[in-house]
Amino acid sequence: MSWTVPLTEVELSEADIAAFLRCLEEGWLTMGPRTQAFEQALADLCGLPYAVAVSSGTAALHLALRGAGLTSGDEVLVPALTFVGAAAAVRHCGATPVLVESCGPEDLNMDPEDAARRAGPRTRAVLATHWMGYSCDLEALDRLCRERGLQMIEDCAQSITARTADGRMTGTVGVAGCFSFFSKKQLCVGEGGMIVTADEELAARARLLRSHALTSQTWDRHLGHADSYDVVDVGFNLRIDEPRAALGLSRIERLHEDIEVRRALVRRYRELLGGVPGVSIPWSEEAVERSSHFGFTILLESRQERDRLVSELVERGIQTTHYPAITTLSDYSEHPSCPRAEDLAARQLVLPLASSFELETIELVARSIVELVATPV
Amino acid sequence: MSTTETSRDTLIPVFDVRVTREDLEAVAETLRSGWLTMGPRTYEFELAFAEAIGARHAVAVSSCTAALHLAYLATGVGPGDEVIVPSFTMVATAAAVIHAGGTPVFADIVSPARPVIDPDHVETLIGDRTKAVVAMHFGGYAADIERLAEICRDRGVVLLEDAAHAPLATVSGRCLGTWGLAGTFSFFSNKVLCAGEGGLLATDDEGIAEFARLRRSHAMTIVSWDRLLGESGSYDVPALGFNYRIDEPRTTLLLSRLRRLEAEIEQRRAITDRYRRLLDGSPGLIVPFSDDQVRGSSCYVMSIMVDDDLLRAPLRQALRDRHGIQTSVFYPAIHHLSAYRSRFPGIELPQTERAAATQITLPLFPHLTEAQQDRVVEALRTELAR
Repeated sequence: MSWTVPLTEVELSEADIAAFLRCLEEGWLTMGPRTQAFEQALADLCGLPYAVAVSSGTAALHLALRGAGLTSGDEVLVPALTFVGAAAAVRHCGATPVLVESCGPEDLNMDPEDAARRAGPRTRAVLATHWMGYSCDLEALDRLCRERGLQMIEDCAQSITARTADGRMTGTVGVAGCFSFFSKKQLCVGEGGMIVTADEELAARARLLRSHALTSQTWDRHLGHADSYDVVDVGFNLRIDEPRAALGLSRIERLHEDIEVRRALVRRYRELLGGVPGVSIPWSEEAVERSSHFGFTILLESRQERDRLVSELVERGIQTTHYPAITTLSDYSEHPSCPRAEDLAARQLVLPLASSFELETIELVARSIVELVATPV
Repeated sequence: MSTTETSRDTLIPVFDVRVTREDLEAVAETLRSGWLTMGPRTYEFELAFAEAIGARHAVAVSSCTAALHLAYLATGVGPGDEVIVPSFTMVATAAAVIHAGGTPVFADIVSPARPVIDPDHVETLIGDRTKAVVAMHFGGYAADIERLAEICRDRGVVLLEDAAHAPLATVSGRCLGTWGLAGTFSFFSNKVLCAGEGGLLATDDEGIAEFARLRRSHAMTIVSWDRLLGESGSYDVPALGFNYRIDEPRTTLLLSRLRRLEAEIEQRRAITDRYRRLLDGSPGLIVPFSDDQVRGSSCYVMSIMVDDDLLRAPLRQALRDRHGIQTSVFYPAIHHLSAYRSRFPGIELPQTERAAATQITLPLFPHLTEAQQDRVVEALRTELAR
């Protein structure tokens, strides 16, 4: 169907398209100079020495966890309210995700106190996830990691350039930060991801495993730097390619600008929806200034009310989405429940947001919400 | 030496990708549409590819490794299961067995002149724990697929095909990748049909196709495109999945290039025929496969095997440094790679070892000119005569 307001939209500039096509024309498609430049650009953005581009955000988490030494028998703390790919990445390492509660309606991110309660003797790491682009309580999680000797991997799939309460960039606090360039993301290329880190060894392990643990790559052999290769581990094909790297490199130039547009749109949503009975808005005004605004989310009073709004909004051509808590998915039914996260997930509604939207679009959506909550069936 | 300078200026690469005006226009349109994640173009490419090879289902994924992983999982390969694979193949054929939790068991090839899995050896390796046998069509030339199909049927094990090299290649008029329960394809940048990174699983089996479709996108019961079409409910995740998705710019490029594939493979065949004629009877080397097999091949790789394995490294170096000709090696034997030697010690596969020590891949791409080809052959002759 054709939406009046889609959940999000991607607008590529003529410069983006030209960069992609130029790469195709030159005919070198597998990882090479453009991938290296894209990695350097993200490393610079984060102020870290190493970046490893991969095929997806899930691949970034998988290889960051492997790079940090996670393996079978280990447990990793993962928020229950996040995309299922995070828990899957832990399982791809042979490790077990331990699902953790959300803080509450003011902050949907992982609750550090509940994380401390659920951590056990086999727990080795925390996936600190910055949901919707809002940083989680990294100070408290960092403390927990120090006390228990855990490693912190940051899941920045939704939080590129977002900052923590003490002003640090998300992705630079833990041992590694993992990004996604999926087509809905602030910086998107279709499918893609990246690991940033200050840990040389972690970067080297991730780099090796992303391309079958080959000791030389096609590009090295093309340059005549290597003749053949050895394979030193059981690796994967989790490579990105040059056209996607070219697109990422072109789009990263507008990233800050795009995020400022998103922030302005979110401020407008908050003005129009703040104080509306039946609607609550997570996170504070102060957090809005630090977030990178992957999505704008509201909470309704009940699942029934949320589902009613979803259908009514469909009628008006407005697309929304919501994420189930991982503990409510069939494949995770054996995991201990997280009632708070499940309740929040059931009441959560993610509204349309894109850097190409006008204020009027946001106003149209917000007005619809105000009308619909005021007229229950 | 002045020829050295000239040669360097006009290096002949081992492969060379040419993207046409139509390819670029198609991709530009997709990029302008703003819809990048799997959607109508991916589905259209899948249908077109399935039709081209005569399979009922095609599931496009992020790489051939991903396709192999899904094929093994869909076949039920897990801990305790063995999968018989050639050792003379890209490491992914075996690595994906380990990703699925199974154990690869390495079979020898017939000979350096016929470097595909040896059915006689496969028969001796099949045991109680064998779940599947993988026929890998090296260089685009068919393994002994009819015989392997018979063996697998008789012994009650699954036949899978690693057709990474072999889109549109045939045996008895039937496309490779459609003989086994599933066939996997690669769209890596040096392949006959390429998009940078990409792969595909083909099958006639509804259950295998469903399995692969679900697992390639985190086993979510609803994907983004369904949502755009109006699906607004919650998804479930009934199993452990992956992000093995391809995206729309790549499937657009693949669809555009697929239309030319048969013609490009014809060009590759003509070049291969000519290489074979020119190299026929050259002392000091074997040209694998037979002239007859070129017709059914996708002619991905032009292989030669040198008689003297000690000669390979200096020969390749001389071709590069003196003549400006790039070559490559397909492949080191998997059982000799460090990661596999340590896990599976003591394996001896004499034919594989011979082929792995002596194989050289010569430049081959559809627009390779006769003049370039003559230079390659002349350089080979000169260096072999030294």
